[in-house]
Amino acid sequence: MDKISIPIGPQHPLLKEPLSMMVDIAGEKVLGGSLRLGYVHRGIERLAQQRTYVQNVHLIERICGICSHVHTTAYCYAVEALLGIEIPPRAQYIRALMCELERIHSHLLWLGILAKHIGLETIFMHTWHDREMALDIMEEISGGRVSHAANQIGGVRFDLDEEHGDMIRGILKKLHSQVDGLLDIIETEPAAIARTKGVAPISSDLIKAYGVVGPVARASGVDIDLRRDAPLPPYDKLQVKVVTHPGGDAWARTYVRAEETRVSLNLCEKILEDLPEGDVSLRTPRRVPEGEVIIRSEAPRGELFYYLRSDGSDKPARLKVRTPTLAALSLLPVQLAEINVADIPVVLAGVDLCIACADR
Amino acid sequence: MNRIKKRLTILNAVIEAMIKSPETVKYPFGDLTLPEGYRGKIEFDPDKCSGCGLCVRDCPAEALHLNKKSREEYTLLYYPARCAYCGQCEDSCRHGAISHSNKLVGATTHKDDWVLVFKDSKASQE
Ligand code: SF4
Ligand code: SF4
Repeated sequence: MDKISIPIGPQHPLLKEPLSMMVDIAGEKVLGGSLRLGYVHRGIERLAQQRTYVQNVHLIERICGICSHVHTTAYCYAVEALLGIEIPPRAQYIRALMCELERIHSHLLWLGILAKHIGLETIFMHTWHDREMALDIMEEISGGRVSHAANQIGGVRFDLDEEHGDMIRGILKKLHSQVDGLLDIIETEPAAIARTKGVAPISSDLIKAYGVVGPVARASGVDIDLRRDAPLPPYDKLQVKVVTHPGGDAWARTYVRAEETRVSLNLCEKILEDLPEGDVSLRTPRRVPEGEVIIRSEAPRGELFYYLRSDGSDKPARLKVRTPTLAALSLLPVQLAEINVADIPVVLAGVDLCIACADR
Repeated sequence: MNRIKKRLTILNAVIEAMIKSPETVKYPFGDLTLPEGYRGKIEFDPDKCSGCGLCVRDCPAEALHLNKKSREEYTLLYYPARCAYCGQCEDSCRHGAISHSNKLVGATTHKDDWVLVFKDSKASQE
């Protein structure tokens, strides 16, 4: 059968963000594909060199619209490391609470997108409704639904009181029962199983060869999670349960993310329980001493890497960000080979791409 | 058994969706309640401002501008269309002159001409 190349993107109903793909097909079989990136490159790393450390917190927040908080968390920990300060424990816990809420809403958003691609519109509606509950918490405590501006160098910007605690616990309880229902559907619903089981499997060797991280790696049985392996405070005190599955297929990726949502809900409750008393921020100098630092943090999509170098002024000399999506993208052409055309959306949705993060 | 339970869950969701009020609000006609700490429209108190310029220095979006002739004579301008509603100015101001309210922000069709004079020291002296 003749080979046909079909372009997908950069603007395509299948994609939420611009990404260009050339997929080679023969009949119903996909032979392979190639990628083009860079449609949402904004030059943020360069821009960061022209702004002060304080201004950069807000610039960094805009790298991503979903995991904005974990970016600023990594950045602030990097600046604080160069300044040689440790933020108050209460601020560390509030940072972690926001990170976990972010993971919950990010995973629920992804589950919705996958459900939509495999034709389960009802699940899509329900997960996006549930996601809104997590966002409500974040808006209520930080003042912003997507750009939370929760972090500042030296701590966080807001404090939690008893009322907040009760409100958060109430919503978390509701989310728990919703996520339980969701897991039940993933495990038992024939339509969900038929469209994901055995689709586009990735072996753990391939994961390691391409350096893929996060839930995609854990769904292929690679047991990595920075919250346990190289924890930023306060994760060293929180005993994070790492969810893995040996399956490697689209179903395993779905299961791992849904189960991780449940783990994050438990973590949020634990954080609220253990929340230490005290201040939430420190006053910090504007100039940062000369030096360089690397900070790694577990974002919803996997390991997030920050490199920061200071020349002693009030602006960074270099900021390098490596996001988890980049590695997952390099694996896409491999994954596309030997699947059916109808499974392209499942593969694309399955890796939970964040192009804005990867392009910056 | 499991099947029946599932059907009941769905029925439950359907009934709930039929009786509850819509999630969306017909703004500006409906009543919209935003959280207490929502970072909305910026409010300014000219009496508290000392013209120190800390807010201008830290604003990441260059939405604030200070024309300073002397300690007493200055104007502080604000460009709402550039503002990212990040809350940095509120944090940086030591005098509590600038703050976010929990009101929704305005809109314009001419974003470049949208300038608010937050403080004109001459005008406030008169
Ligand atoms: S909210 Fe942020 S962007 Fe807007 S004026 Fe204040 S500092 Fe500038
Ligand atoms: S608003 Fe506050 S920070 Fe800005 S110039 Fe006035 S006193 Fe200074």
